[in-house]
Amino acid sequence: MSALLQYEEPQTAPRKALIQLDEITKIYDSGENAVQALRGVDVAIEKGEFVAIIGPSGSGKSTLMHILGCLDTPTTGKYWLDGEDVAEMSARALARVRNQKIGFVFQTFNLLPRASILKNVELPLLYAGVGRDERRERAFKALQRVGLEKRAKHRPNELSGGQRQRVAIARALVNDPSLILADEPTGNLDQKTGSDIIAIFEELAAHDETIVLVTHDPAIAGRTQRRITLVDGEIVDGETVDQ
Amino acid sequence: MILLESILDGIRDIKDHFGRTMLQLVGIILGAGSIVATFSLSVAGKSAAMNYYKISGGIQKISVFDKPTGKVTLDAKALASKGLTYHDALALKRDGKEIDLVSPVANENMTLRYRDIEKPRSIMGVTPAYSPMNDFRAGSGRFITDNDLATAARVVVLGTERAQEFFGSDDPIGKTMSINGTGYLVVGVMEEKYFSFDHKRNVMRWLNRQIYIPLTTFVTRKGEPLDRGKVSFMHVRMKDVKRNQDAVDEIKAILLREHGTKDYEVFSRVANLRRNEQNNQMYDMTFMICGIISLLVGGIVVMNIQLASFNERVREVGTRKAVGASPAQIFFQFLSETILVSIVGGFLGIVVGKFFCQGIAALTRDPAEITVGTAVWAIVFAAGTGLVFGMYPAIRASRLNPIEALRAE
Repeated sequence: MSALLQYEEPQTAPRKALIQLDEITKIYDSGENAVQALRGVDVAIEKGEFVAIIGPSGSGKSTLMHILGCLDTPTTGKYWLDGEDVAEMSARALARVRNQKIGFVFQTFNLLPRASILKNVELPLLYAGVGRDERRERAFKALQRVGLEKRAKHRPNELSGGQRQRVAIARALVNDPSLILADEPTGNLDQKTGSDIIAIFEELAAHDETIVLVTHDPAIAGRTQRRITLVDGEIVDGETVDQ
Repeated sequence: MILLESILDGIRDIKDHFGRTMLQLVGIILGAGSIVATFSLSVAGKSAAMNYYKISGGIQKISVFDKPTGKVTLDAKALASKGLTYHDALALKRDGKEIDLVSPVANENMTLRYRDIEKPRSIMGVTPAYSPMNDFRAGSGRFITDNDLATAARVVVLGTERAQEFFGSDDPIGKTMSINGTGYLVVGVMEEKYFSFDHKRNVMRWLNRQIYIPLTTFVTRKGEPLDRGKVSFMHVRMKDVKRNQDAVDEIKAILLREHGTKDYEVFSRVANLRRNEQNNQMYDMTFMICGIISLLVGGIVVMNIQLASFNERVREVGTRKAVGASPAQIFFQFLSETILVSIVGGFLGIVVGKFFCQGIAALTRDPAEITVGTAVWAIVFAAGTGLVFGMYPAIRASRLNPIEALRAE
């Protein structure tokens, strides 16, 4: 909570959740036909929550994911992440927020093929300007958390799909982010391996990490604590809470 | 930090795509190579020319020749003028303020004989000034002295080849040889003069074939008054190269006063040198333009291949951006890669340039040497090409939308 308190600005913003979206809209304007991907989305996610965003394809969950991940900015609306208003930031400022506050896990892993596992995990620290020795140490610790420290010198193509996704999780963890965003993390894995990956997320959630995961798989969504269901760019159910 | 990582990445990239990188670099290698060749040939050529001028008496040497006017004139003085004379040399020496040495030379074929060897040979009548003027001294014995000149002494000094020709292995000094039937005492043999641009042909060899007697002896032996003694040409040394034009003008003025007509020509080595330099500049420029065009073409190839490699790596760029690489960081990563590759091209270009030089040297016998400065220029030009042509791919990479980049196949 202390990090959160640091960013509070009492006069303009009362206490905010870790993630707070107010009236977010996103319109893709491709000439004649504009597409409204999000139609006024309000969401608050507290620190330590393990949330799934679900919905049919075309429902806008990818768009929401991109905005949550600061890869894109909303057309209108406000987005506070960890006390910072990120809705109208420059590309450079967004890069900094992604670097320091967000860890990504992708469906296709997106590891750099020519770099070693350790170098891949170090990547966010490299762009954060962390020194070489500290970078190694922290990357190695992150690999230990996913049980892959013995493969540090290998290249991604020497690893199985599940192992690669664990490397990606280590990379997402290495910067100690406020939010871990996973986009269909089991989409390219078989059921057993996918289940193992979700187990890692469950364990991270148990250690108070905030995780938002986008999926169309109800079985996987069922293992999270809370599900936000999107249909046609609107939240139809945002409060289904288990446990 | 990121720069270092980018460089390491770049090196890995070169290793992974060795063939493609070499192809990418052909233009830059040839461009840098021809720049190296230009500089090397030009630098070496200039230093060889300067050495030549130095060994043959320096650039402060001015030559004065006869030039028949061919004009019909009624001016008595002009009619009386018979070209350059010993008198002119004395006038220049006396009145010239910009000159410190005058060396008049008369030249004629005479018959030489020593014992049973008799040959027609060219004889030069000179003054003691000839030796410092041409930086050419007696190797043994002595050269013509002021005393020889004053007394019109019958003494002779031989070039090494002539000494060898008439005396073989004997020491000629102290011996008497006959010139047109009159006995002359051999008082000295010149040092051997050697200079070569290509380490093959001695361009100064003609000096070793000379035979010198005092100018006064040369003139008076035919009964002519000394003053009116005809000389073939004169060398004059100016005091200060910077006042080259003043010295030339002064010589012309004095000669016009003495001759009453412009029956002489004055050549300055400084002016000559400037003309040569202009020619060299044209030559350098042509080669340089070729080099720059190669670099331009090379740069365009580099840019294209970099764009292709960028298209292959769109996903990688997307990933880097997702984990927090700023546009500037991506920009510098791509740019430093291109520059690195181009610098490698520059180094290879130096090697190629060395081959160029050797090839040209073999064809034209021009000397060439690759200096550190030349190598540095080659690298700078290559790196500059990388910088300019790496800009566009780097800007495209830095502006890439991360969402689209991550979607790319």
